[in-house]
Amino acid sequence: MIEEILATHELKLVTEDDVMAVRRRVREIAEMRKFDTFAIAAITTATSELARNVVVHGRGGTAKIEEISDGLRAGIRVVFTDEGPGIPDIARVMSGGYSTARSMGLGLSGSKRLVDDFDLESQVGVGTRVTVTKWKRF
Amino acid sequence: MIRGQIPILRIGTTLLATIHIELRDAVAEAFQADVLTTIEKDGAAGLLIDISGLDIVDSYVARIIAETGRMAKLMGTTTVLVGMRPEVAATLIRMGYSMEGVLTALNVDDGLELLGHIVPKQRGA
Amino acid sequence: MKSFSDYRKYMTILKLDEAEIQSRRAFFTLTDEDLQRLASLRPFAEKVTEEVVEQFYSLLLAHPETRKFFEDDATIRRVKRTQREYFLGLFAGKCDREYVEDRLRVGAAHERIGLAPKWYLGAYRQYLHLILNALQAELKDEERVRAAFQSIQRIVFFDVSLAIDTYIAANAEALVRHQQAIRELSTPVIRVYDRILLLPLVGAIDSIRAEQIMESVLLHVVEAQAKCIIIDIAGVPVVDTRVADHLLKTTAAVRLLGAQTILTGITAQVARTMVQLGVDVSTMHTLSRLSDGIELALGMVGKAITTAAPPAPASPSAVTPPVVGGTS
Ligand SMILES: Nc1ncnc2c1ncn2[C@@H]1O[C@H](COP(=O)(O)OP(=O)(O)OP(=O)(O)O)[C@@H](O)[C@H]1O
Ligand SMILES: [Mg+2]
Repeated sequence: MIEEILATHELKLVTEDDVMAVRRRVREIAEMRKFDTFAIAAITTATSELARNVVVHGRGGTAKIEEISDGLRAGIRVVFTDEGPGIPDIARVMSGGYSTARSMGLGLSGSKRLVDDFDLESQVGVGTRVTVTKWKRF
Repeated sequence: MIRGQIPILRIGTTLLATIHIELRDAVAEAFQADVLTTIEKDGAAGLLIDISGLDIVDSYVARIIAETGRMAKLMGTTTVLVGMRPEVAATLIRMGYSMEGVLTALNVDDGLELLGHIVPKQRGA
Repeated sequence: MKSFSDYRKYMTILKLDEAEIQSRRAFFTLTDEDLQRLASLRPFAEKVTEEVVEQFYSLLLAHPETRKFFEDDATIRRVKRTQREYFLGLFAGKCDREYVEDRLRVGAAHERIGLAPKWYLGAYRQYLHLILNALQAELKDEERVRAAFQSIQRIVFFDVSLAIDTYIAANAEALVRHQQAIRELSTPVIRVYDRILLLPLVGAIDSIRAEQIMESVLLHVVEAQAKCIIIDIAGVPVVDTRVADHLLKTTAAVRLLGAQTILTGITAQVARTMVQLGVDVSTMHTLSRLSDGIELALGMVGKAITTAAPPAPASPSAVTPPVVGGTS
């Protein structure tokens, strides 16, 4: 079925406050669209991880939140974009447990397991874009 | 650092910290400092961290909690994480955070009971 | 079972408002001129309906796969009547909401009887062929046949697009219903004692069900403030690495809540596979018999089952206050 964008929200991601604001916004939308509590926690947590990555590793950027529908289900898509240093070895960061910060390095691999669709594009010196989609469950 | 944002209560030899607001960097640091100085000053056999008010625990918060527990342990205080919500537990496990090494309890009463079992009573008040 | 007027909801699901109908028409180049031409072919249609429909059904009935759908004479009479209406509908010279609604009814009906799109599409091709033959026989003039057939093709493809969309929407909907039913049936959590829950699992566990099991277990544990949940897997036919992994995850999540999981119903077969597959379940309490699991759980809440004093009179109660301490 054809996917449709019902609404779009663009938010900046520069400070820790912005991370909180984006994640609050995503939660509000998921609640409004009547996602179940587990799905709400999943997309909000993934948002928190990826937004924090933009601020911490990507030198700031934006989050675009899209309310989508495929005709039957509502969905939320969040696109995190930055023009930071990029990720040299995508396979390595996605395998989990790798971090350039003093951390567990489960933000990217963990987020992927929380959403229905996960897409990571990154180019060294150009920037990084992570797109996640969560569909409301039947 | 804004200290005192997360209340720390004393119940006998146990400290009870209730996290009811989003942990941001400044709050998290202050929370850690508050807990550790309280232990240093007055001592504590156990520390209960009540997170029943948190609707999200991301890797950052999970790390702060685990770290605080390890720091408290070095000072002889056992930490129990209390009241995690179902959706938070599911999310952490899906991400791959099983928080091994952190003790858990369903509620504050259970937490106190657990500490009673594992913390030798002789430490006194 | 779906109600008869079910097809109407597809108008909403497929968002078939005036604008959508117009945009579809534009894409299929179904113009007003086509509609006029179709209307002018009405006498032709009336003349050949009977013949086209009869030929069409003799083709369908000759094929074993499609014959299945027409079991008795009454059904055949009914579908032939519907088919005649459908055929004449093509030459109504209209393509409005009412027309579209009528077409959705056809799609919904096909989905309901379980007629796969391949049969629908295959049959439609034969249908078009029959119509072309009839046009050639009736109109004679090559140019008129060509123009008429083009208009018919346009409206037919427009119809087919609606039917296929209805198929897809109906299918997706069936999926929704099944999943809801599964969710309700697949995780029957029972309270066996104060703060002790039991989940007897029966049937195969795939990853979707495993997810539901985890969520349901966590919700029940918190709601009942259960110190312990016994998961009995005696009724699970295959326990492989993946199932074991799901159970381990559930156990780890239950631990985060501050409760414990006991896995019972481990058969000799399951024990053998687990070890051979190298699955490490050492973080779980595992037992073969459910009764042993219940005893272990009672121990966790500070209770124990003891043998009643000699000739036990009326009281069937075997549960007495603490004898065995907690095992945590
Ligand atoms: N937007 C980004 N721009 C550049 N590098 C990034 C970006 N996001 C992630 N990375 C790199 O990928 C690594 C892994 O990220 P991930 O989120 O998995 O772990 P982390 O942020 O290091 O730790 P945490 O577990 O706290 O999230 C990071 O350490 C960083 O090197
Ligand atoms: Mg991260």
